[in-house]
Amino acid sequence: MDFILLALVLMLCLISLVVLTSASVSIASDPYYYAKKQLLWFVLGIIGLALVVWIDYHQFRDVQWYLYGLNLLLLAMVLFAGHEAKGAQRWINLGPFLFQPSEFSKLILIITLACFLENRKLERWQDFLWPLGYVLLPILLILKQPDLGTALVLLAILWGMLFFAGANIRILLGGTLAGLVLAVGLLYCHFHYGLPIPLKDYQLRRLVVFLDPYNDGQGGTGAGYHIIQSQIAIGSGGWWGVGYCQGSQVQLNFLPEHHTDFIFSLIGEELGFLRSAMILLLYFLIIYRMLQISSEARDPLGSLLVGGVVSMLAFHVMVNVGMTMGVMPVVGIPLPFLSYGGSSILTNMMALGLVLNVYMRRKKILF
Amino acid sequence: MAVTAGFEVRRRLTWVFLILACGFIVILFRLAWLQFVKGGELQKRALENRLSVMPVTARRGIIYDRQGRELAVNITSDYVGAFPPEVKASGRAEEIAAKLSEILNLPHDTVLEKITRNTGFEFIARQIDYEQAKRIKELQLPGIEVVPESRRYYPNGMLAAHVLGFTGVDNQGLEGLEAMFDKELSGEKGKIVLEIDAHGREIPRALHRYIPPRDGHNLVLTIDQTIQYIAERELDRLMASPTKPARAHVIIMDPKTGEILAMASRPAFDPNRYSQYPRELWGNPVVRDAFEPGSCFKIITAAAALEEGVVKPQDRFYCPGYIKVGGNTIHCWLHEGHGSETFAEGVKNSCNPVFVQIALRLEEKKKGLFYRYIKAFGFGAPTGIEITGESAGFLIPENELKPINIATIGIGQGIAVTPLQLITAVAAVANGGQLIRPYLVKEITDPEGRTVKKIEPQVIRRVVSPTTCRVLGEMLELVVSEGTGRNAYIPGYRVGGKTGTAQKPGPGGYVEGKYVASFIGYAPVNDPQVVALVSVDEPQGYPYYGGMVAAPLFQRMITDVLHYLKVPPQQVPKPKEGEAPLPLVKVPPVVGMDREAAKGQIERAGLKVRLEGQGNRVKAQVPRPGVEVPSGTTVILYLEGEEGKPKVSVPSVRGLRLQEAAEVLEAFGLNLVPSGKGRAVEQEPPPGAGVDPGTQIKVRFSEIFPEDKGP
Repeated sequence: MDFILLALVLMLCLISLVVLTSASVSIASDPYYYAKKQLLWFVLGIIGLALVVWIDYHQFRDVQWYLYGLNLLLLAMVLFAGHEAKGAQRWINLGPFLFQPSEFSKLILIITLACFLENRKLERWQDFLWPLGYVLLPILLILKQPDLGTALVLLAILWGMLFFAGANIRILLGGTLAGLVLAVGLLYCHFHYGLPIPLKDYQLRRLVVFLDPYNDGQGGTGAGYHIIQSQIAIGSGGWWGVGYCQGSQVQLNFLPEHHTDFIFSLIGEELGFLRSAMILLLYFLIIYRMLQISSEARDPLGSLLVGGVVSMLAFHVMVNVGMTMGVMPVVGIPLPFLSYGGSSILTNMMALGLVLNVYMRRKKILF
Repeated sequence: MAVTAGFEVRRRLTWVFLILACGFIVILFRLAWLQFVKGGELQKRALENRLSVMPVTARRGIIYDRQGRELAVNITSDYVGAFPPEVKASGRAEEIAAKLSEILNLPHDTVLEKITRNTGFEFIARQIDYEQAKRIKELQLPGIEVVPESRRYYPNGMLAAHVLGFTGVDNQGLEGLEAMFDKELSGEKGKIVLEIDAHGREIPRALHRYIPPRDGHNLVLTIDQTIQYIAERELDRLMASPTKPARAHVIIMDPKTGEILAMASRPAFDPNRYSQYPRELWGNPVVRDAFEPGSCFKIITAAAALEEGVVKPQDRFYCPGYIKVGGNTIHCWLHEGHGSETFAEGVKNSCNPVFVQIALRLEEKKKGLFYRYIKAFGFGAPTGIEITGESAGFLIPENELKPINIATIGIGQGIAVTPLQLITAVAAVANGGQLIRPYLVKEITDPEGRTVKKIEPQVIRRVVSPTTCRVLGEMLELVVSEGTGRNAYIPGYRVGGKTGTAQKPGPGGYVEGKYVASFIGYAPVNDPQVVALVSVDEPQGYPYYGGMVAAPLFQRMITDVLHYLKVPPQQVPKPKEGEAPLPLVKVPPVVGMDREAAKGQIERAGLKVRLEGQGNRVKAQVPRPGVEVPSGTTVILYLEGEEGKPKVSVPSVRGLRLQEAAEVLEAFGLNLVPSGKGRAVEQEPPPGAGVDPGTQIKVRFSEIFPEDKGP
């Protein structure tokens, strides 16, 4: 068991509880409301982690197609029997809590894609078509919800795992570049010439508004509002922050979603630069440690599994933190281990379990 | 089983590590930039976020005339403001929007959008009336406030509208002095600051401050309300007369200080309801629109020539009715010519060949000399008066100037000046030779009435000597006592002045039938108290001469002004015997009246009557009703004949000058409708046609007379 990695993650969990208490003050009558629920999720997450560690990851090979099918089934279920909130249909109602399949789909994709890519040659461009199609199916189902953020995470996982799987670097980079150009071109044509794109208008607007949040058609009170308020919050922090539970942006609710997607803004405002940088360092160390584990893996499957988790984690952190500071589009993905949210915590904990699993089986265990 | 991760994957791991490290560094830099570089600014934004600001308008400064009479004041009205966070918190946004839109007659959706906006404060409606304010206050809607604010009011309506300008809905100056002195007049807004959270709830023990507004400063103008009123009264009278010009302007100025005593134009607008008038009316035409001054400009030519000594008052000239300059012929307005005359008589007669010659003499003495004077008199540059949108007029560029241009500019053609430039230049002649800056604001005072700034008269430069001015003044006095400006003669005062009649230029030459008739003069000549310009744009029909359209207005207006200013009357050289201007009378309308009644009415008006035809009813009359003619003029009445209508055979006026044609037609009992300038070339109906007496005969005059074609 890698206790360093576990300790790093548990530190994040602790910080999450502290920060969520501050976040709750303004939105719930009980300041510990979110912290208590989050603690419960951490406990459940650790149980999930243990379960994942317990299964030898090589057994995934045998069930990979069942898992893939299950993934599609859950995502399709959301569309037909899902619970709608905030204009999207992402949840399945499981009685006491809401279950968000798209969160788990990331984890399932990492597992199944690792098995799928293992020993696969990725030299010619035709070789890339199969993995692309493999991931495109869940992505389309997630876009239908609509959940652009998670769809992009799946793409990032695909990209990272192709890279770890030793794909031809020129084709990979060329394809990425072409995709980016295409996406930017489509967005440009959409906003300048009215080209129809089958996504919600608010999502498209958020993708570009970070470039100039005051120019959102409503003088910074529309799609740009979040970005502006978030930057005001972070900018108010300075070296030491304005003080725990003292941030006016957070406590007076100028910054919505400050317990979920915009929790980093709260950290920036109330805790300041030094502590924000410490938290970023924690993430960096976690990812660094995971990369080490990937390189020490016993076989390509293990290496790929960890690579997938690294891709997911790194993408989440970069995009989420970048979004709060106005350097990334607002796509609405949580900050791993810190943002409040059950499905997210469970997923990340189980992903951590996956990494520990690979670590524990890094050498041939002789019975 | 597969081997452990190979070399390739290891190398890739290094790359991944480097890429991620770069990403983290970029994010750290951005974090530092936001928190340290932009920190101060963003902290301020955070503060602004939680402060809700209710504007408290400052009282706008009052505009007074020179005697302290109010020209622009403030009245209180109410506005409706909303605190969107409070509205949203109440959960009654729909209901509030419905009620407000009903009371204020605004679209429901607009109101709803405003009161739920993501801001701290929104204006819903400004300057609402008392009833609406009362109803809204009674409803006590959450997050909706009715707050008093002051609004501009111009108690005299149209009076001095072009000078004052007006303010917009936020009390910001948009035109005229209101715009030019907006900074001084508006003061500083005050505010009430509340600390609130994002839902608009007041925070206990939070900031709550009142920052009082600083009231604006007052303006004291050089305008005298009474003189302004006299000027506008005369303009209104002119606009309602049969002359009915398209536009007319008056400026009255103190020639010694440059203080504008009155400045008015027609058509005007009511600044209280400016939005109901076309936008073109808002600007001040006396500084914005340049025109060809015509003969009025001869004052400038004469001043320059006298100053340079190229002409003396008693120098003799001969006017054959035209003068040739190079290959061009410039006609005198008097076709037969003035014959032999002195320069002084030339000024009196407004004789074109005389002024053409002296303009050329100036150019002969030294190249560019005439232009130097024109520029020294302020033409070609804005006067610097405190009005927005002042034009510089138009001068032909010096390097493109040909002798013919010098010649025509000498008689006021081929140059465009604003009325204000013209009066400022003539004021220099009146005050002894100094060009002064015209101005409108005498003093700026604070709300307690203490002087903040006093504006003193400003001499720009000396243009001509006092001697020149005295000599020229005497000549200009002759213009009024004996010459073309006789209608400006004021008994008991020495008046000097000059008439002008210019055909309006249009695309491709002069426009026929469109004139600017003007008169510029000052009084008393020996110690000028006022200088005034009357410019009448596009007077209709005949007469259209400056001496007949503008001079009478000047006379009536300045008579009242001199009396108002208590300028003592003086011994005046009597106007020449027999040429004393007869008082003008309006021809009364008598068509359709009984013969004897009509006759009586015309005679009572001081006119003579000639009857044509038999019958008892007046069928037509010449001149037309409403035309102003000297008393004693004969009015011809055509009577309804028993056996029908006595037809008149239209005479030919071909080749005649306007004055002659008018006389001929009048003798036949016909009315002249002239167009163009020069000699008659066309008429409608044609000669020989039988028409009813009183018929209007359209005659086109032209400088180019086709000699060879006629009989």
